[in-house]
Order: sequence, then structure tokens, then C-alpha cells
Amino acid sequence: MIFRIAWRNIWRNKMRSLVIILSVAIGLFAGIAVLALYKGILNSRIHTVIYAETGHLQIHHKLFKQDNEPQFIIHQGEALLAALKKNSTVKLFTTRTITQGMLATSTGSAGVKINGIIPGKEDEVSGLANKIIAGKGFDPTKKNQVFIGNKLADKMKLKTGGKLVLTFTDVDANMISAAFRVAAIYQSDNAPLDERNVYVQQSELNQMLTIGNAFHEICIILQNDALTDIVRQQLQQQYPEQLIESWKDISPETDLMIDTVDTTSYIIIGIILFALAFGIVNTMLMAILERTQEIGVMMALGMNRIRLFLLVFLETVFLTLIGTPVGLAVAWVLTLYYQQHGLNWSSAGEEVMRSFGFSSMIYPEFPTEKIVAVICIVLFTALASCIYPAIKALQLQPVEALRK
Amino acid sequence: MKTVIDAHNISKTYNKENIPVYAVNNVHLHINQGEFTALVGPSGSGKTTLLNLIGGLDKPDEGKIEINGIDISAMSPNKLIDFRLLNIGFVFQSFNLIPVLTAKENVEFIMQLQGIPKAAREERINNLFKQIDLVDKMDSRPAQLSGGQQQRVAVARALASKPQFVLADEPTANLDTASASNLLDIMALLNKEENITFIFSTHDARVIERARRVITLVDGRIVSDTAKVAVHEE
Repeated sequence: MIFRIAWRNIWRNKMRSLVIILSVAIGLFAGIAVLALYKGILNSRIHTVIYAETGHLQIHHKLFKQDNEPQFIIHQGEALLAALKKNSTVKLFTTRTITQGMLATSTGSAGVKINGIIPGKEDEVSGLANKIIAGKGFDPTKKNQVFIGNKLADKMKLKTGGKLVLTFTDVDANMISAAFRVAAIYQSDNAPLDERNVYVQQSELNQMLTIGNAFHEICIILQNDALTDIVRQQLQQQYPEQLIESWKDISPETDLMIDTVDTTSYIIIGIILFALAFGIVNTMLMAILERTQEIGVMMALGMNRIRLFLLVFLETVFLTLIGTPVGLAVAWVLTLYYQQHGLNWSSAGEEVMRSFGFSSMIYPEFPTEKIVAVICIVLFTALASCIYPAIKALQLQPVEALRK
Repeated sequence: MKTVIDAHNISKTYNKENIPVYAVNNVHLHINQGEFTALVGPSGSGKTTLLNLIGGLDKPDEGKIEINGIDISAMSPNKLIDFRLLNIGFVFQSFNLIPVLTAKENVEFIMQLQGIPKAAREERINNLFKQIDLVDKMDSRPAQLSGGQQQRVAVARALASKPQFVLADEPTANLDTASASNLLDIMALLNKEENITFIFSTHDARVIERARRVITLVDGRIVSDTAKVAVHEE
């Protein structure tokens, strides 16, 4: 009977019940939306890191990363490449020659990381060709061409066809200066990297560095992301003389983001639900105060405090249980829509997003694995919110309640 | 005759602008099984307060109240709730049926709180609704019933738990003459046939006329206690 009374009570004031149902639904929707958005941003960032910046794995000479000295080439590189070709977990790989240098134009200079790349392979591994926003890429008939990032081009007031000088040291510490022409200007989702990295043809850079066919970096794309740690361990065991790093080692800020994103999103959900709790407390309190005399009658007739508490509790449970699927459904539909069509945040600050290495196009993902936790948190909040109104109901004295 | 209610020198004061006012003042009262008693007196004479004290809804400041020899003045609020459920029936002036329940459910509610099995509940509900002549209104919500019908359902609800006695606070105050008369007929019949003890607080001359004992309160004191049983029987 208490279930029946509770169920019917919630429909006595439809508008008030609707407010709680909507509050629960909006709270749940907001919670899921935050998680979906974070998951989308995170996955997008991880995708960018792996497929546009670092690859799944990178191999270097053990000392190369300490000083970025060009003499620290990968030993027996050709044999290593042959082994990678046979490795079924490896999908793609490319080699890079890398040196630190100075880029100078008539307007100024900037420190840069000069990447010697094999154009076709680099496009496959990091999608460099897709990032070009001006120019056509390397022309095989021309020498000394360079790709520079959009931000660097703006800073150095360079356009395609513009001339610049790259200065660096070779393996014997001889200073090398060479003039290059801007073949293309590229723009990735990571503005700081664009400002620092320039790309030239590997064969030309190798010649200037006098390292023959050697290289400093192998960038590997695996068959899938889940293989990263396993393959890294396997390769490290096979090639202990090389430094083998995963994208998590190379981009620790992304790894840190994965660790902290859950905490951050739960804090945001907590703030949303805190507001929800106030709404429920207020509405349930109104419902109790409105029914003071009725509660007095029930107590006079012999309804004990446990049953009275249960009545208030059940009313909140019913309202919450109606609000929960509504919130879930709305969140699911909207997430699914934006998962397919993307959420374009460029108008809200594309530059800001890029400066942190994020794409302005976000594809939220329904956080299936966290749904149970979110529902539990929302239910707990809703039910905890009814405790105060329930206590107020329990504190009523029948004789006083009957007088109201 | 068995004494159901035994109130020993009970007093209840309220503070009105920090001045203590006696709502019930040193009242000594015995009610026996099967009595049909009216508490009468002007407004503010302490009728409702006395009913609340007897019904365990309020506690006396002085004295004690025994129901079937059990001192309810010393009971904890939780024990009092259980005691009321099992021993006392209430009929209120404003009917006070639970609006979201049908007439039948209102009556069944008390029995369910008592833990009476469904079959026994059904049987008692049918009997009670026959007695109050509302079998055809069992599935109606209170809002769909007239005042008189609601009060008859309230009487059925009060009797559903098979209480030791029924306390009725101005039961006819909100009823028209025909409904009031009908209600009194039902209560008188139940009193006569099932020996149920009824205690009313009332201003209503019709109720006073039907009562077999009339207790008059003035300023919280009993000023007269008249038994009319002999007169009626004569």
C-alpha cells in the first residue's frame, strides 16, 4: 500500500514532479555529456598523438634524446627495418633524420627541429600531406625544399616559395648552413609542434650531416592501439641497445590527461549533482509541508516513522527512476548524433584548442563503461536529497500536524 | 463493566504569550466498554485536547491515562504509534481520508499496517462497507464522495482495526442534517450490535441527543457527567 500511495502521490502535483524528473534527467544527461565529451576529446587527442605526431612507438639511439646530437644514429638500422617489416604487429613505419638547428630569414630567426623525412612514407605514418594548407609538397625536380608550420610561417613572415636558411652542425661538429625554399606550409592540431618542426627531404639532410643512409628515428604505427605496451616490451627485449618508447613516454602530458580526466569529469558531475540535490530537497520539502495534515493523520492512525520515511523515500525513488531513462535516452541520442557528425568548437576558440594540441572538431563517445557508475551517483544524490525532507516529515507531531 | 479508559487527574497546559493556560485541568475520567459518550462544551473548553490525550496523540503534563490498564502517558512516541494502530480508532472533523487512495484502500490501509492477511482484510472490508451502506462506492476516491459518504468511510476506517474504542472529533460538524443523522445511525448501530465504545467531542445537539453519556467541559474541567442510559431504556 505504501508503494501505491507513494506512486499516486507523485502525480498529485504533476508540475512539481516534472521538475524533479527533469532535474534528474538533466543531471544524468549533463553527467554523461561531460564524460562523453571528455572521452571524445581524450580519444581525439590520443589519435592525434599517435597518428599525427609520435606514432605508437619510436626507436632512437639510447643517447640521442639526451643532446639530440646527429652522431647518435640508430646502429644496424637496416637490419632493424628488415625485422620490423616481418613483424605482423607493425602496420607502418618510417625513418627520420633529426637535428636541431636555427631557421633564419631576413626578418628574424628561430630555433627549430629539422626533420629529414621520406615524403611518401611520412605521409602514410603521420599524414603530413593532409596537413598542408599552402603549397604542393616536395617537388622531386627541385632541391632544398622545406615544409614549415603555419605559426612559424606567420612569425617569420614566410610564404610558399619564400627563402630561409637552416643552420645546424654535422656529425663532426662542423657548422652547416643551407638555403631552403618553402615548398609547403602545414597546420596540425598541435600549434606548439607546428612552430618548432620543419621538414626537409631525408636524403638531402643526410648528405649535409654526412651520415650516409643512416637515420635517428624510426616511427612505428601498430595494427591497433592495444598492442602498444606489449610490442614496446618485446622490441626493447630484442633491441636492448636502442631506446624504444611508446607515445605515452614521448607525450607524457597526454598520458597524464588520461589519468586525470576521470577525476576531473567526476568533479564536474559532482558540481552538477550538487545543484540537482538542492532542487530535489526544495521540491520534496514543499511536498512534505503541503501534506502536513495528511502525514499527521497517517501518524495518528498508526503509520510508524519507518513507513513514513519509506513513503518519502519511495516517492523520490519513483521520480528518480522515471528521470533516469529520460536522461539516459537523451544523452545516448545526442551523443550518437555528435559521435557521427562531430561537434565543431572552432567558433569557441580554434586557436586556443590547437595551442593545447586539441582538435576543434570533437567526436563525443558514449561512456558505456561508466554508465553504471554515473547512474549510481545520480540515484545516490537523488536519494540522499530526500533524507532531509524525510527527517522533517518524521519530526512532525501528529497532534500539531492535524491542526494545520 | 470493563473500564477501557481511565484518566487520572490529567492536566495539559499551553503557553499563550508566556502565560500558561489550562486546556485540560485536573480531569478524572472513566470510560467503560460499550459506552456512547459525548464530550460537550463551548469552543476552547478542552474537548479536542482531552480526546487527543486519550487517543495518545498528545501527552498530559500531569496525571496518567490508562487504556485497558496500560499507562500510555509513559510510552515513547514510537510505541504510542503502534499502540494507536492496534487499539484506537479515529474519526476526524474534516474526514481526513487519504486522497490518493480509494474508499476501500483507505479502510484496507489500516489493516495492512496491522499485518492482517489479504483474505481477512477483504472479508472485513466487505462487512464494513455493507454496514456503512457504501458497497457501490468502494472504488471511489474521496474527492468523488460527498461529505457524509467520506465520513462514513472514515468510520469504517476507524473500525477496520477492531479498536478498543473510537474517538470522533466533531464528526458531524461538516455534514448536513441527513448525512449527520445517517452517520449517527450507523455509529449507534455499531455501538449496539458490536459493543464498540464511541467517544465524541461535539457541539452538535443531534449527537448529544443520541449519546448515552454526556460529559460537559468548561475551561478544561468536567463540570457535569450525565448518564442517559436509564432514560433511554425507560
